[in-house]
Amino acid sequence: MKLLIVFTLLSIITVEASEAQAIALAESLHLSAGSKAIVQWERIFQSPRKMKRYKIDTLSKKDQEILKEYLVDHAIDSDKPTIAGI
Amino acid sequence: MKKLLKTTSFITLSSIALCANSTSDAKLDAMTLEIEKLQKEIKELKTQQKEIKNNQEENYSYIEEVEAKQFRDKIHFSLGFKTNLDNFQKKYTDGHKVHSNNIWSTKLMLNMQADITKNMNFYGRLSMYKYWGSSSIHPFTYYDNMQGRVPADSGLYVERAYINWFLTPDSALPMTLTIGRQPSSDGPSNQFKDNTVRKGTYSALLYDGAADGVVLSSDLSKLTSIPNTVLRIGYAKGYAYSESSSFATNAFVGPANNDVDDTNVLGVFLDTSLKGVENSLIQLSYSRMFDIIANPLDTNTTGHNNPNIGSVDMYGAMIELTNFQDSNFDIFAQFGCSVAHPNGKSYTVMGHKIGLLSQNGERSSKTGYAAWIGGRYGFGEKQKYKIGMEYNYGSKNWINLTQGSFDIYNKLATRGNAYETYFMYVINRYANLRLGYIYVDYHYTRSGWFVGKSQAINSTSSPATTVKSLDSLYLKMNVHF
Repeated sequence: MKLLIVFTLLSIITVEASEAQAIALAESLHLSAGSKAIVQWERIFQSPRKMKRYKIDTLSKKDQEILKEYLVDHAIDSDKPTIAGI
Repeated sequence: MKKLLKTTSFITLSSIALCANSTSDAKLDAMTLEIEKLQKEIKELKTQQKEIKNNQEENYSYIEEVEAKQFRDKIHFSLGFKTNLDNFQKKYTDGHKVHSNNIWSTKLMLNMQADITKNMNFYGRLSMYKYWGSSSIHPFTYYDNMQGRVPADSGLYVERAYINWFLTPDSALPMTLTIGRQPSSDGPSNQFKDNTVRKGTYSALLYDGAADGVVLSSDLSKLTSIPNTVLRIGYAKGYAYSESSSFATNAFVGPANNDVDDTNVLGVFLDTSLKGVENSLIQLSYSRMFDIIANPLDTNTTGHNNPNIGSVDMYGAMIELTNFQDSNFDIFAQFGCSVAHPNGKSYTVMGHKIGLLSQNGERSSKTGYAAWIGGRYGFGEKQKYKIGMEYNYGSKNWINLTQGSFDIYNKLATRGNAYETYFMYVINRYANLRLGYIYVDYHYTRSGWFVGKSQAINSTSSPATTVKSLDSLYLKMNVHF
């Protein structure tokens, strides 16, 4: 239990990039995660030309990573929750 | 001299003029050539443009063809695949042990999804779950909520099939009606062990299995400004009388009898989240099962030996934090309470009169409770490795609806203590391996059973057949694609 409390406190202190940040980045570049499949997003991040086209190259490396993770995680063919009414 | 001078001047001027004319002509010629060249290039560009346009039109027809095929494929399939290797040992109350090692099983899940219209979609899941080298039917496979959920033969069972009808999608209070075989299995917090996103609606401590019903979901997120706040009111049919002999003389009017009532379930569930804490889930629930039938598999109701034996209230509260504050920690805590109301009626088996958590016509209510806590931590590059721990406790009269649990031990129905720890290796985005250990220490008998009185494990009258503890070492492979 003590270990859990310590980890919890540490995690609160070390708040880093959040999904909200990724959403804001995607919105600023007018990118919709659900508009492409996982492979298509990965392809974009592998091509400097395509990154330039979507202005992803204007972001810092760290922001690019955050954005890529978000876009891939929410791509049209990504694992989606299955819940009644969703 | 003057004449000579005039002549010289004339010749010089003429020469200059001639030279000038000659330069202009050259420039003109060059310009003409340039213009011709440009005209040629323009012509070529126009030709190319025309070709591109033609190609585009041709490509457009191909795109339309692909799009048409996409629309023709009305149902999209995705794959779920689990292979398990279980090794377990049961220790009985009289001290003897039974080992069951090298037990392999596979579960195949064909998940279906279709967008029917903007306001309506469909989800389904066809499942096969069997032990390797065996197609023996599990004796309880015929329980409706266990079909496709427990190992049986190689047949496909319809585990889920439901329509979401979005009644008021753009309003301040979006409401959705979910009709059919519900997503009522593999609920939170089982997704951590499977390394997936949430795959079910309801707390797995209380509900895990197939269920036919209707659920009205009201999204209160806009009204409350709290993300993921949804109020659900649900109705499900737990048991419906359909004895085959009842059709003998009434083939086309459906089954009916005056001896037993169907088991119906009503429930209300509130999902919400902690404001400002991403990926958090809080669920509060209450449900009531009316007219529980003693033995859903015994269709001989005419002798009044299989009556409705009472009702059960179930209360639940849970909190779940996924990747809490980006710490790679997932943690959850769940609590459940069951209050059984036996009506004094009994089912007689081998001379024993057993009722709802009772015997010999008892009518007093029985309250049980359970708690389930756990966590998972991901580490290594891209969280390739994860470790997890879970613990649950159930009291003497704890009863829940997890008979359709994927876990073959129905761990969360335990009346006693259950511990689980696992190590997971994430192979790729879609697949993982999990090595785990479960230890269950039963304090009371009949875990997971609605019928019969629970007794302290050490005072059981049948120590040779009562399991006191169980431990299991397992290896599982999960693929979701």
